[in-house]
Amino acid sequence: MTAQNKADFESAKSELAAIAGKSGALVSGVAAADAFDDAPEGYRPVDILPHAKSVFVIGGAQPRAGDWQSPNYQHMEVTSTSDRMQTLALKIARSIEDRFSYYAVCVPPGVDRGQQPFMSISMAADLAGCGSKSLAGPVLHPEYGFMYYAAIITTMPLPADSPLETPACPAPECVQMYAAEGTTPCLSICPIKAGGCLGGRIEDGRFTDRQYDSTRCATRVQNYWVPAFQKVLRATLQEPDADKQKMMLFSSMFSRTLWSMTYSNVSQGQCAECMRVCPVGLEHRTKK
Amino acid sequence: MGFYFVDPKTYKKHKNEILELSHAVQVNFQEHLPAEKRRPGFSDQQIAEKLGLEVHVVREIRCVAERDKYPLDEFEEAIRFKEKACRDYSVRGMSAVMEKYVKASKK
Amino acid sequence: MNASKTESRTQQIKQFALDAGADVVGIADPRAWDEHVPLGHRPYDILPGAQSVVVVGSRGPTAGAWRSPNHRVMEVNGYDFRNDAAIHRVADMIEKDFDHQAIQAPGLPTGGHLPPMSMMLSAVLAGLGTRSLAANIILNPKYGLLYYSACITTFEFEYDGMLEQDVCPHPMCVDSYRRFGKTPCMAACPSDEGGCLDGSIDDDGRIDYSYYDRERCVSRAMNFGINSFQKALAQIVAEQDTERQSTMIYSDFFSRSCSAITHYKESVAQCFECMRVCPIGRAERKLR
Repeated sequence: MTAQNKADFESAKSELAAIAGKSGALVSGVAAADAFDDAPEGYRPVDILPHAKSVFVIGGAQPRAGDWQSPNYQHMEVTSTSDRMQTLALKIARSIEDRFSYYAVCVPPGVDRGQQPFMSISMAADLAGCGSKSLAGPVLHPEYGFMYYAAIITTMPLPADSPLETPACPAPECVQMYAAEGTTPCLSICPIKAGGCLGGRIEDGRFTDRQYDSTRCATRVQNYWVPAFQKVLRATLQEPDADKQKMMLFSSMFSRTLWSMTYSNVSQGQCAECMRVCPVGLEHRTKK
Repeated sequence: MGFYFVDPKTYKKHKNEILELSHAVQVNFQEHLPAEKRRPGFSDQQIAEKLGLEVHVVREIRCVAERDKYPLDEFEEAIRFKEKACRDYSVRGMSAVMEKYVKASKK
Repeated sequence: MNASKTESRTQQIKQFALDAGADVVGIADPRAWDEHVPLGHRPYDILPGAQSVVVVGSRGPTAGAWRSPNHRVMEVNGYDFRNDAAIHRVADMIEKDFDHQAIQAPGLPTGGHLPPMSMMLSAVLAGLGTRSLAANIILNPKYGLLYYSACITTFEFEYDGMLEQDVCPHPMCVDSYRRFGKTPCMAACPSDEGGCLDGSIDDDGRIDYSYYDRERCVSRAMNFGINSFQKALAQIVAEQDTERQSTMIYSDFFSRSCSAITHYKESVAQCFECMRVCPIGRAERKLR
């Protein structure tokens, strides 16, 4: 690549970052398409877009400071904002194609066969330096903490960023808490040994031996959604008493599930308790 | 009664003719074709008038018949069809679809 | 209103539509529907006093999405519905600035597959494309496959007529038909091999006969959604063995059917094989 080419792609990257920033993204970065060795074959950028060179990652649309303060946990169950990043990702994909004439495709936010994601957007965010994996699971940005990410795969060879040198998790407060009490805020709020989802240790300033019960987490994050719908349906069909069947179908559980299914765009994440207590990005969650 | 649904006997009696008159199979829809050649499907109202049925009955039969025409196997087959077509094209381009016809034309 | 003011307003609304995100815009005379559709499905059946129908088209999948070897990428990617967004802004502008009634034409189905008004016919009558052999898809001369929305209004704009030149068949397809008996789209999805399409081209290079099995196309283009959900549910309800019933309810097929209903943006179209091989608009999808 010539010096001129390099300058052009740097300039393109800046332009895309500016579009992202202007449209509501808090962060953006680039991961090299060939950096996804840890992803299984079939789930890498080139499996989605042949000859892919870069993955442009955006992050933002965090729940607001006020959202976290509500004592009504149901508030955040119906006000998810992840859709905003996906919509912006589509816009950026179009910009790449229309402005620079390189192929671009958004990583679909949904799942492929077998309920598997097409590609790990978390991994992309990590590789692009937009955050780092946490003990609780979500990728955390060192300044902003928890946010939603989207990724655009492109054949344009954008200059790649690197993963963060210092991971956002564990935060210094968590290291201190673990040393004193043998737990961290996220581990104590949702401990796997007491029917929760998370387990792990902190050693030499890094988390290790992470345990994550994804199936249990799904019962919380997708509290009212397709899995619950399927379970109520099964219970109803197998209930011999017609009156009880009616009670099941008219139940608040089932009604709520149907609402969440139709308004999926705002019901993406129905549990964020591990993030509520996370100190990373706390400054941005503190307002008057 | 609850919500309206068509009785199976009425459905079985009229489903084929209603489906045929509807837009389920579209022949010669192109606007450039002369009017006498075009075969646009009929509206529920038009079908009702033709068959001497009430329009809501026609609509209901048509809706059920649209669902009923192909079994669920067809939906599974669709997955296999698209998987093969998309992957073949990504490897072989147009020859993935045209090759067998080109070969047949040479015989 | 005098002719020059009508012309000026027409240019104004067209530019506005393009600035609002449409890729193409055209305007049709509501009376043009009389020849093509029965009463009840014409613009003035939806808005009494209708004088114009403004039609916009926008692209769906990015060029990058077309290149993925995984067909599910395009099927689950979602769209930005720019055509709908643009038409709402057009309608708002007509009512606010031109002081005439304007509505978004209802294009979603209300009885089985039937919508109150056809967006495809609207696109043809507004000169945005012509009806093709491939599933009757309206192909735009520049972009090929587009998604259309329409605004019915009591304001009288200048009308565009239907295109004089058929977009389909492309000369390459005429040649292919003459030599091999199939156009690429017919070869990709032949009705005589369990597909959806058939047709013939006359000596003048125009479509002479076209055949499209819409219900089979539904099994492909709406693979997972309302249709598959209803059909699977019918089977589930009829299953006597409770264990088999459970595995049916929790199956990947039924899970995906439920998910497709909830994430409607993901499930707009789930088969593109006839369009994949279509030469029209291909130049627009050729990037770096």
